[in-house]
Order: sequence, then structure tokens, then C-alpha cells
Amino acid sequence: MRGVATTLFGSFRAMGATLRNFFRPATTVQYPKVVRPIPKQWRGGTFALTFDPKTEEENCIGCRLCEYICPSQIIKVTLRKGDKRRSGQGATYCDVFTLDFEACMQCELCVQVCPTDAIVMTRFLAPCPYERDGLYLSKERLMDNGRRLLREPEQESFATGNRLREWTDAERGKPAAKPEGDAT
Amino acid sequence: MIAWLTAALLSVVVLGVAMTFVAYLTWIERKVAARFQNRIGPYFVGYPHGWLQPLADVAKLMIKEDITPRRVDRVLFDLAPVLVVVPALIGFAFVPFAKGLAVVDHPYSFLFFVAFASLTLLGVFAAGWSSNNKYALISALRMVALLVSYEIPLLLALLVPAVFAGSFRLVDIVEAQRGLWFAGYPVVGQIAFLVFFVAMLAESNKSPFDLIEAESELISAYNVEYSGMKFALFYAGEYAHTFAISGLAATVFLGGYLGPSFLPGAVWLLLKMLALFGLVLWVRWSFLRLRIDQALQLNWKVLFPLSLATLVVAGYWVATHAGAR
Amino acid sequence: MPEIEVVEREFGELALNMGPQHPSTHGVLRLTLHLRGETVVRAIPGIGYLHRGVEKLSESLAYDQLAPVFERDDYLGPTANSLAYCLACERLAGISVPPRGAWVRTLVAELQRISSHLVWLGTLGLDLGGALGGGTTLYMYCFRERERILDFMETLTGTRFHTNFNLIGGARYDLSPEAAKAAVALADRADAMLSELHAMAGDSAVFRGRTEKVGVIPRELALQVGVTGPVLRASGVRFDVRRAAPYDAYPELEFDVPTRETGDALARYEVRMDEIAQSARIVRRIVDRLPPGPVFSRKPIKNPKATRIAAGEIHAAVESPRGELGVYLVADGTAFPYRLKINAPSFRNLQIVPHVAPGLLLADVIATLGSLDPVLGDVDR
Repeated sequence: MRGVATTLFGSFRAMGATLRNFFRPATTVQYPKVVRPIPKQWRGGTFALTFDPKTEEENCIGCRLCEYICPSQIIKVTLRKGDKRRSGQGATYCDVFTLDFEACMQCELCVQVCPTDAIVMTRFLAPCPYERDGLYLSKERLMDNGRRLLREPEQESFATGNRLREWTDAERGKPAAKPEGDAT
Repeated sequence: MIAWLTAALLSVVVLGVAMTFVAYLTWIERKVAARFQNRIGPYFVGYPHGWLQPLADVAKLMIKEDITPRRVDRVLFDLAPVLVVVPALIGFAFVPFAKGLAVVDHPYSFLFFVAFASLTLLGVFAAGWSSNNKYALISALRMVALLVSYEIPLLLALLVPAVFAGSFRLVDIVEAQRGLWFAGYPVVGQIAFLVFFVAMLAESNKSPFDLIEAESELISAYNVEYSGMKFALFYAGEYAHTFAISGLAATVFLGGYLGPSFLPGAVWLLLKMLALFGLVLWVRWSFLRLRIDQALQLNWKVLFPLSLATLVVAGYWVATHAGAR
Repeated sequence: MPEIEVVEREFGELALNMGPQHPSTHGVLRLTLHLRGETVVRAIPGIGYLHRGVEKLSESLAYDQLAPVFERDDYLGPTANSLAYCLACERLAGISVPPRGAWVRTLVAELQRISSHLVWLGTLGLDLGGALGGGTTLYMYCFRERERILDFMETLTGTRFHTNFNLIGGARYDLSPEAAKAAVALADRADAMLSELHAMAGDSAVFRGRTEKVGVIPRELALQVGVTGPVLRASGVRFDVRRAAPYDAYPELEFDVPTRETGDALARYEVRMDEIAQSARIVRRIVDRLPPGPVFSRKPIKNPKATRIAAGEIHAAVESPRGELGVYLVADGTAFPYRLKINAPSFRNLQIVPHVAPGLLLADVIATLGSLDPVLGDVDR
């Protein structure tokens, strides 16, 4: 009987907690009017194929490492042997490069293995398409992303293959080296 | 003839105001609940505060398809939402807004109010029974047990002010509070008000007593098969029922239309009803749900003896101080 | 899956199908209940609605590719799954993890434990209190706190939740001084928020009334059926994989293993809340004593098909937020696992339901199921 009586009347701490929160400001972020700051190495955006800033040539050498490592097997690359590059780094290019963004789980393994920093994840969400084809990124689309979205220095994606590999470098003995662009 | 016309006009006005308020109570509830949870609530429809949200909700529910499962009891199925909404709206007819100004001013208006408020029980049971759904059946059975049990402390607690006022006419009960509200009467008034408040929560199926429409166990069972405008009637009926009973509570315990004269009496009544509704919201959004046997134990072991004792004490006090009447 | 018939067996019984679509079954769990009035007479769980064939998929993917796939297994405590897998591969192949990598992995695992327990508490509030009542308030508070943890993960790794943090051979991202400070701030916040959550849940008499003496699992039954994790610890068995078979940084960290004797839903709640406090303590310790050095010990990953593990078999277990998560790996010398079996804690915890449910009221079944914390991704894999 006592237990039943205290069931309702002994719970005023919950009401106090609710009342306290009534007077606190709301934690809602009213997107899209207010945009949360996106961390530098955000992994949610669409993909882009990068260009060499000095020679304006595409960085992708068609090595297909990203295709082999993708767990969802969404990348398809074919190799094309062409003229020697202006930068002197080999003579291979990618002929076909398609990425089915629909099944991507944003694990960033493709970025991790790329030897030339060719594929990166940008900090821009692709606009939601109305058909499935909109999510099937062809090579033209990826290179267009690379031209458009990575122009400004602050739009550049932090996570490129070389920077990620530097983090997991087994020789790296410095204690907690500060990577560029961290928590704001 | 004139009286009949006045009553008709007044009832139209009261109904209109009541229905508007009931619609905006949903908005108030969502905003207040959101503030309790550090959120904002509806803000887009009718930017920036979302005050057109009830209109959007009503419009959406009106254009929804009215799906009726095949083997339901058609008569009860269609009648249930009506039986839930109408008695609550009838309750607004008895609440006085000023001295002598109520849609129905009857010597036994108080009893009529309580009698009509209990009819919603039939509506909910009809919904649960006719839905041809095991979840709805469980909910209907729980509801019968709960609502019938909680009628008793509700009525006994309500009788305390009637005993003090010496009449069942709601205007008389309000006039008897000119000195002190009945909720302010030492000990007896407070206990009666508290018991009434808990019973009111149970009657309107608000947390911690929303076990008959427990959304996470029975998936709001008694109205799970309803869609479209019938569901809107259930939804509105729940708020109308709460508002009507808080109207009764404001009249009987909190002095009704009495208040300082810089605002008309009807506005004071509305303010008190809104304050009570706010209290219901605060309790609702802070507590988890009681189990059916815990709720019934609370009723029979705590609320019923308390209300009975309060009534006996009140009756004894009135009987020994009968000279003033 | 044998067909479970939802038919009354005798007069006076009600056969209720708390089917795969239900707000309170924590995923797509089908619970067939036979009720007499409100009392459950028989309960049969039916699973398999979320089976995705992860174990079969792992036979066709290379070792390095599998770590992010397993994170989706128990989707509420992601790093625990990939950690179990990485431990199994490392032990079988003899790959040593650098101390800093191990400690950073532990840090992320403990933060994810706090986040998983917050989800559990919020959804328990929803089950007990409903979408239109006080349960939602508890849920919003838990998720508001969880957002801070997710924001921290976002600044550390780039993704909020399934971060793909563990690799075979270490961790993927390193902890900068700012991130370390943010982690300590999170740990301090965890202690502060526990009092508010206690006020809404544990101290609330309604919550205690719903969970006290509900779903009692006696110690012998718990050991017989084989439940793990907080469910086992709430029944009086002090077993924690972090102490029994320590891995990563746990051999060098001091922390308590909360245990209770009563075995009811309230005990499970208290065990998990204590675990949040202990996880905050571990996070602070890790940040204080983080050893310097690299976080990854192998050469950079190139072609995953080049990684081969010699033939052998091994079992590795971690303490996921739900219990002991084990991975049994059979390798055959090629670049793909021959067989990879995941020993899921939620699967075993769910086995207790037919033993415990008879005699409970319908509302108690919901409370019991919520307190067991099943995640259907873990149950069905």
C-alpha cells in the first residue's frame, strides 16, 4: 500500500527535471537556415576525382586499387595506356571510372589506398536526385565535382590517400602529431 | 422563445470557441512538450511559430482515405468516434461563464456534466470492441476496468465542493467561492483537488494513465483501425474531454469566472482552464506509464479511501456549521 | 523457419502476435504471445527478419575489406564488432598492435559503449512511457547527450557512427591534443548527465514500479541459458570479457565491473548506468596515460587480396555493450576467410524470453524485452 502511494506522489524529481529543461534553450539546429559547422575531414559528401594543380592533368592512374578494396564493390575502373604524363609519373590513365553512390557505405577505404590522391570525398552533399541514375557517378561527373567543388582551399577535403596513410604510418613515432584541420 | 434563441446562439458561440480552442490545444501541447524536451516543436506552417499547424493537421486528416476493415461491427465502428467527441462537447454547455450565463443553467447541471463525461467510456469501448483486432480488444478491456474504477474517486472528490456549496447548480458552486476557492480550503480542499486531478488524468487517458492507448505496447489500440476523419474525431475528442473536465475543475475548485474585475469572467475561466491544461501537460510529459494493475491498485487503495474520507469530513463540517446556510 | 501458428490452444486464451512490426520489439522481432487475460502463458520469439548473410558474405571478401562490413552487424555498438574481427585476425596472423593503436581503439570502444547505453535507455523510456508521454522526454534527453559523442566521432574520424575505425593491425585515426581534450570533456559530461537521467528514470517511482521484480532471471537460469553482458551481471555473475580475457588496453586499466544480485529489470538498468560511469572513468584514464607512437603496425594497405592469413582457427571475444561478442575465424591460407562465425550476445540474451515471460503481464514483457537490450542486427546477423 505504501509502495503504491509513493508510485505517483514520489516522482517529483522527474517533474523537476522537466521543468528545468523547459527554461533551457532548445538544442535544435534549424537546418537549412542554420548549418552546423562541418569538420574538416567530414566523410559524408560526394566523391570527386582530383587534378594535379600544376599540370591540370587528372591524378587517377587507373591502378584499380580502389575497385579491389571497396567492400560494397561499387567502383568500376578500367586502365588505359596513353601518352606520358607531363608530370613524368607514368603513362597510364583510367578509361572508365564509375562509382555507384547508392550502395556506398562511406568507409573511406578507397581514399585510403589511392596512391596518387586521385579520389577524395568532398565536403559537399550531392543534391538529392529524383531518379536512381542521379546517384550513379560517371567519370565526367566525378571530374566535374573535382573541378567545381575543390577550388577553394577551405573546400578541400582533408582526407586524401597520402594524409590518411601518414596517420597510419607505422614509422610515425611522434606522440599525437596534430593533423591539419581538426575539431573546430 | 427568447430564452430558447439565446440558448441556441450561446451554444453556437460556445461550441465555436470550444472547438477552436481544442484545435489549438494540440498546438499548445506540441510546443510545450517540445520545450520540455529542448526542442522547438512545429514552426514551419505559419512561420515562425507554427500556429497554422492545427489547420494543416485538420486539412490532412480530412483528405485522408477512410479505411474500414472488412469484418468490423459497422454500427459500433462508425458510432464510436461520435460517442467520444459529443459528450465532451456537451460538457461545455454546463460550464458557467458569468453569473447566470451558461448555455444550460439547471439546478442539477453539475450531475449532468459528470454523467455526460462518463459517456466517452462507451465510445472508447465501442471502438475497441468493434475493431476486430486483438490489440483493440485488450485495450477495450483495460479501458473498462480503468475508467469505470476511476469514476468513483472522480465523483467523490467532485462532491466535496458540492457539499460545501450546498447545491448541484454550477453557478451556485461558483458563487459560494467568492470568499475562498474550494481548492484553498485547508487540507480538505487540497486533498479533494489532488484526488480529482489524478482521477482526471486517468479519465482523459493521459500519462501516467495512458495504458489503454499505450502507443508502444498496444499501438494506440482502440483507435488503431481508424483513419482519416474518424481518427481526427478521436484525437480531438481526447483534447475536448481534457479541456471540458478542466473546465469543470476550474469551475468547481478554482472559482470559475471569479477574478479581479480588470478582465471579464469568461477570460478568467479560460485562463484557469489553460493553467490546468498546462499542469496536465507537465505531468504527462514527465512520467512513464503505469501498468493496469498498478493503476487499479492506486485507485482502490489510495484514491478511493482518500476521497471517501474527504467527503465524510466535508459532510461533517457542513453539518456542524449548518447555521450559515 | 518453422511456421509459428498464432492460434489459441484452448478456451480463455488469447494468441497475440507482437509481430515484426511493433514499436517496442527493438527491431523486427516477432514475439508470439499466448495470453490469459493480461498474463502471458507462453512466449515464442521468432527471428530472422533481419538476416543479411554477413557470415556468408565474409567468405567472398578479403580480410582488409571486412572490418567496415562487420560494423553493421550490431549496428548500435559498431566498433565492438569490427574490434572482435580485427582481434581474431591479428591473433591468428600474429600481427602485433602498437600500444597507442590499442589504447585509441579502447577509447573509441568505450565512447561507443556510452552511446549504445544511451540509446538503450532512451528506447526503454519509449517502451515504458510511450510516444506521447514521459518516455519521449527521457528519449530526447538521452539522444541530446548522445549527439555530443557523435559530434566528437565526427571531428575525429569524419563520420558520426559507423566510423570504420579499427583495422587489422591497429586503428585508423590518431588522437590529437584537441580531440583528447574533447574526449575528457565528454567523460565529464557523462557524469553530469547521469544525475538528470536518474531523475527521469531510476529515481522515478513509476519507473521503479515498472521494472522492480519484473523479468527476474535467477542466477542458475542465466548460467544455463547462457546470457551474457549486463544481463548476466545483473543476475549476480561477475563475468566481463574485459577482465576474463583482456584485450587492447584493458590489462592496464583499472575499472569496476558493476554487478547486482536481484536479476530484475531494475538491476539491469542499474548495471548499465554504472557501466556508463565506469566507461567515463576509463576514457579519462586512457587520455591521461595514452602512450606515444604509431597507431598502425603494418605496411599501408594496397591490394587487399595480397593479405593472406595462414591456415588455422581462432576465437576472439570482446565485451560489446550487449555482452560477449565472439568471432570464430577459420583461415585456409588464401586471401579470403574460409568460415567466419559470429557469436552474437543479443541472440543468446533473447533465448531467455520463453523462460522468463510466462507469468508476466503484457506490459512486463515489454519492460523485460527492453531491459535485455536486444539488437536485431546482432540477433540475425
